Amino acid sequence: MFEMIGGWLQRPNYIAFVLLFLWGIYIMVTRYNLVKKLIGMYLMQTSVIFFLVTTSAKQGATVPILLSTTEIIQPEVYANPLPHVLTLTAIVVGVATLGVSLALADAIYKKYGSLDEEEILKRLE
Amino acid sequence: MTRHLPAILFLLPLGLAICLPLIGIKHREWCRPLSIGVLAAMVPVSFANLVGVLQNGTIQYDFGGWAAPVGIEWVADGLASVMTVALSLVGLVCITFLSSVLFPYLGSRIVPFYTLVLLLIASLTGMVFAGDLFNLFVFLEVSALCAYALVGLAGGKALVAGFRYLILGTFGASLYLLGVGYLYAETGTLNMADLAQRVPSLVASKAFAVGVLFMFIGLGIKMALVPLHGWLPDAYTYAPDRVSPMLASLVTKVALYGWIRIMFWVLGAQAVVYQIRLLVLVGILGALAALVGAFLALSQVEIKRMFAYGGLSHIGLVLVGISLGNQTGFVGGVFYLLNDAVMQAGLFFWAGGIIHLYGVRNIEDLSRLHGGAGWMSVALVVLALSMIGIPPTGGFFGKWYIILGAVDSRNYLAIVSVLIATLLTLAYFIKLFERIFRDRSAPQPPLTREVPLAVRISLGATSVAVILLGVMSDHIIRFLLNTAVPPGL
Repeated sequence: MFEMIGGWLQRPNYIAFVLLFLWGIYIMVTRYNLVKKLIGMYLMQTSVIFFLVTTSAKQGATVPILLSTTEIIQPEVYANPLPHVLTLTAIVVGVATLGVSLALADAIYKKYGSLDEEEILKRLE
Repeated sequence: MTRHLPAILFLLPLGLAICLPLIGIKHREWCRPLSIGVLAAMVPVSFANLVGVLQNGTIQYDFGGWAAPVGIEWVADGLASVMTVALSLVGLVCITFLSSVLFPYLGSRIVPFYTLVLLLIASLTGMVFAGDLFNLFVFLEVSALCAYALVGLAGGKALVAGFRYLILGTFGASLYLLGVGYLYAETGTLNMADLAQRVPSLVASKAFAVGVLFMFIGLGIKMALVPLHGWLPDAYTYAPDRVSPMLASLVTKVALYGWIRIMFWVLGAQAVVYQIRLLVLVGILGALAALVGAFLALSQVEIKRMFAYGGLSHIGLVLVGISLGNQTGFVGGVFYLLNDAVMQAGLFFWAGGIIHLYGVRNIEDLSRLHGGAGWMSVALVVLALSMIGIPPTGGFFGKWYIILGAVDSRNYLAIVSVLIATLLTLAYFIKLFERIFRDRSAPQPPLTREVPLAVRISLGATSVAVILLGVMSDHIIRFLLNTAVPPGL
């Protein structure tokens, strides 16, 4: 049991990811305010991005750029660049989603005069 | 030249989607003919691509000249090419329908509207061809963003439905991305073919199992598999009547196609996670979806909502078909998927048509159609025959091959679920027909209105298509058996 927890504590970034992810879901589920829901959603998306970056983290690693063509390639000294590239795309996707969702929330507010989900559901009937 | 056809097929709608906002500044009225023209151009290109793939084998299209697994690759194999042919044909009929004069004039919103529709078609094409898990995610999100915006376009209740769709859809997409992250951390590759080679050594890995689980839950939300279907009925009911056919027939079906692709081409048909065969799990989920969807459809009062639940049950039937673990069942499932795209489009054309022609939204008002709506009633009868599964329509042969596959693998749960879903489908269509043909208590005189040309074309095309799919099912099934069966099945 203690060994397991000890093993977890050696990877604090993964614990941070799990906390952020669950926190985001918690906000999405429990808050009635639509904008707060979006904050939770964005937190969850960001935590996944954080996870992708953290898989490529390495202590003492450097950027994967060759300084000369004669240099011997040593993969173990470089940080893996691919998760960063994925992250970039995922951030763009996240921003686009946030834009569409804020536009929808704004239209809902203009139509129903409220951002509170219960209030809106009451007016829907 | 044929090598580049997959990319051309994708660039056609994407190119116009980018140009349309510029063209729309001056010539708003060009949006409609240009969009229809591009979709019409996609049809011969997709056929040419299919012929090319049949003659020269699978096309592996490397973007930027970087070969897979380093670069991003598109794979146009038999199944993908068949899917794009179906996608372009159904897309063309849908865009004909949504530009009908029946619907309210959009004014200046016509430009973003057609842009979104074209982007949706382009991203769905990308999803079909994607040979890379992350690329699939990007196209999944682009198509989903277009779908959220198109649902919300109707205003009012649709805004709330669209918002809920967005929250759940983004949750699904995040889970999918997380699953992809797990798989990447475990294998160091995102390319599907490359990943497939490394899967056999990973069956004992916990990270792999969890990653696969996350990916399938994510895709399950996107394709509205039954316990995760909460967003779909509201979104499709309140979506503008002109776009709900396109959403119902294409968006969930292509997500389902992504599921099939990952299930069979990455994990393999024999995949076992924690001593459970994945196919058995998929079969149980499919049977559940088929029964629950049909059962919920039976209890609806709104026509569009009823069809939306009917679509849920058909996604379940496709899953039952592909889960049987033999070629007959798989091909039956894929054939049913193609049929379902056509049938869902047709049913939502019909629902949109009667809402705008006769103002009928609920089943109890259908009696107003009595005697006055020959064209609409005939189309509904043909589509319903296919939905229920009565020969000579395509729906019958899809179910027939699924049941043949189930008999082959002695999977009696599958047979029972298909039969009960069929009975329930029959029941909810009888509910509709009883109102239309037998209810003579209608207080108003029967309504007769000229059915606009675009609605006639789209309803006629889908009705003819389901019959053609049935009449030619033998050829299509044999063709799919030769070209679209995954390795190892």
